[in-house]
Amino acid sequence: MEVLKEYWVFIVPLIIAELALMVAALTHVLRHSNYRFGSRALWIFIVVFFQIIGPLAYFIFGRGVDE
Amino acid sequence: MKHYLVFFKKELLEYNRTYKLLILLLVFLILGIMNPLTAKLTPDLLAKFMPEGVSITLPEPSSLDSWAQFYKNVTQMGLIVTILVFSGVLSSELSKGTLIILLTKGLPRRVVILAKYMSMLVLWSASILTSFLVTWAYTVYIFPDGKSANLLFSMFCLWLYGALLLAVLLLAATLVKSSYGSLLITGVVVVLLTILNIAPAIQQYNPLSLAAKNMDLVMQNIEPSSLFPAIGVTVLATVVLLFAAVVIFRKKQL
Amino acid sequence: MNILEIRQLHMSFGSNKVLNGLDMAVPEHSIFGFVGKNGAGKTTTMKIVLGLLKAASGSVTVCGEKVVYGDTKTNRHIGFLPDVPEFYGYMRPKEYLKLCGEITGLSAQAIRNRSEELLALVGLKDVNRRIGGFSRGMKQRLGIAQALLNEPRLLICDEPTSALDPIGRKQILDILAAIKGKTTVVFSTHILSDVERICDHIAVLDQGRLVLSGTISEIQKQYRRNSYSIRFAHPEQAARFAACEQLSSSAIKLEQEGNALTITIEEQAVDGQVLIDLLSQMQITPEKFEAMEPTLENLFTEVVQ
Repeated sequence: MEVLKEYWVFIVPLIIAELALMVAALTHVLRHSNYRFGSRALWIFIVVFFQIIGPLAYFIFGRGVDE
Repeated sequence: MKHYLVFFKKELLEYNRTYKLLILLLVFLILGIMNPLTAKLTPDLLAKFMPEGVSITLPEPSSLDSWAQFYKNVTQMGLIVTILVFSGVLSSELSKGTLIILLTKGLPRRVVILAKYMSMLVLWSASILTSFLVTWAYTVYIFPDGKSANLLFSMFCLWLYGALLLAVLLLAATLVKSSYGSLLITGVVVVLLTILNIAPAIQQYNPLSLAAKNMDLVMQNIEPSSLFPAIGVTVLATVVLLFAAVVIFRKKQL
Repeated sequence: MNILEIRQLHMSFGSNKVLNGLDMAVPEHSIFGFVGKNGAGKTTTMKIVLGLLKAASGSVTVCGEKVVYGDTKTNRHIGFLPDVPEFYGYMRPKEYLKLCGEITGLSAQAIRNRSEELLALVGLKDVNRRIGGFSRGMKQRLGIAQALLNEPRLLICDEPTSALDPIGRKQILDILAAIKGKTTVVFSTHILSDVERICDHIAVLDQGRLVLSGTISEIQKQYRRNSYSIRFAHPEQAARFAACEQLSSSAIKLEQEGNALTITIEEQAVDGQVLIDLLSQMQITPEKFEAMEPTLENLFTEVVQ
């Protein structure tokens, strides 16, 4: 908590940005059913549990071709 | 001119709807926040994980550490994500055939290449600028030491290096079919530049210097003018690559 | 006047000769069926006409202007529907038509009006989804709207119906038939019934050259044989009719199959009336009497061995 008090100026925007990325990826995973590889469950797991890298991996490699 | 604008607008719409815009801006924003944070936290963390009884004296972190993080992260993570995100901008259109209709409607092929390059450049500029401004604001806030110099010029150098890689990527996409192929070519070019950099005589002209000498600029170890030859070579190379991409794309059977 | 003229077109991919001195002329205001087997060179021909491929030799003119490879000016007269039209999946139909309209240089007002009109024509009026979720048939229909946007004098469709189910196919053919008169339509296909339904001109491509071309009625006249098919109630009746002496001439060929008889008369003087007279003389009422028109399918197999 000490850390949070001292560094909130960093941590709050950081968390917001990471959450935004995750939410964007997660809604895309849930709205579309075709992925270049992997299943919906796999991508949900990756997107939610791997901050930044997970959503990036989804958008760059996993997203289906159409849209 | 109208064609450029129309296709440029189409590209930006595509960036927005295919999440390219969101990804790049958020990643560079996150990097921008992380840079000063990492600089600030590293000594604390190191001290915490030292075995008990061992005491080391770490120098107080300064704005230089924050900028060192910036140039490390943007040249690695930042550029890699940028290239990955842009890897399909031309090749996916060619493999799917989405350009056929537009080309038969009288869209000049030259416009396709140049407008694509311009829009990539605009997004890359916005991304690196986001990261830069965020890092700069935090750094001024927590390390008001005024030790760092040449900040804008140093960022410009890295930006220009990125602009060169984007031109390489675009030319590669006119040469090979798959987006992985153009990624590979871009990777090979970076490796070649790295190998060339071993020879000190070439270093001065090597575009890679623009992404390697940034901290030397910030710490004032070198003069900005020492990078002018590399800047000249990079600008020239970018123009030549784009020209080649236009010429090759014109001759390409679709 | 010919809206499209192709002269002595040669083209090969590697050692494979695709076009071998193709000559073709498409008159204005026709619906022109461009028929050939898969791989006969139809798509290649179309791509050359659009300046997307470079021919080894030969010339193509559209509305009297020569087509050059690359950015060709002649494309302003042409609307093109590729065999599988590919769109930007992230756009909506109206946005896509706007993009196309802006590229061809239509005014904003014209784009709005034409888009409304064309989306209604192809039955996509109230579809405001992104194109990414469209079916094959919907994409094909949007493809037609896109091709007609700048009111082209020539509409080129590459196999517009072959990937579709019967309903989608009918919709496309109806649209093409509806624009007849305003626009010249060239469409390639290997489905002959589509040609029969809407085309007035036809050209058959085989081994890189035209083996048959003209208006459908001309061709049918030219290939018409004096040929009749009669179905009798019993096979014996058919045999009895076949055996009568009036028909035992070298100019008359008879073919019996069960209770059906096919009669081909090579002699122009003799026609169906003779057969009908003969039937009444013999007091036979056939179940069916038919003068055989050459079907496109028969013609096609005849000219394309």
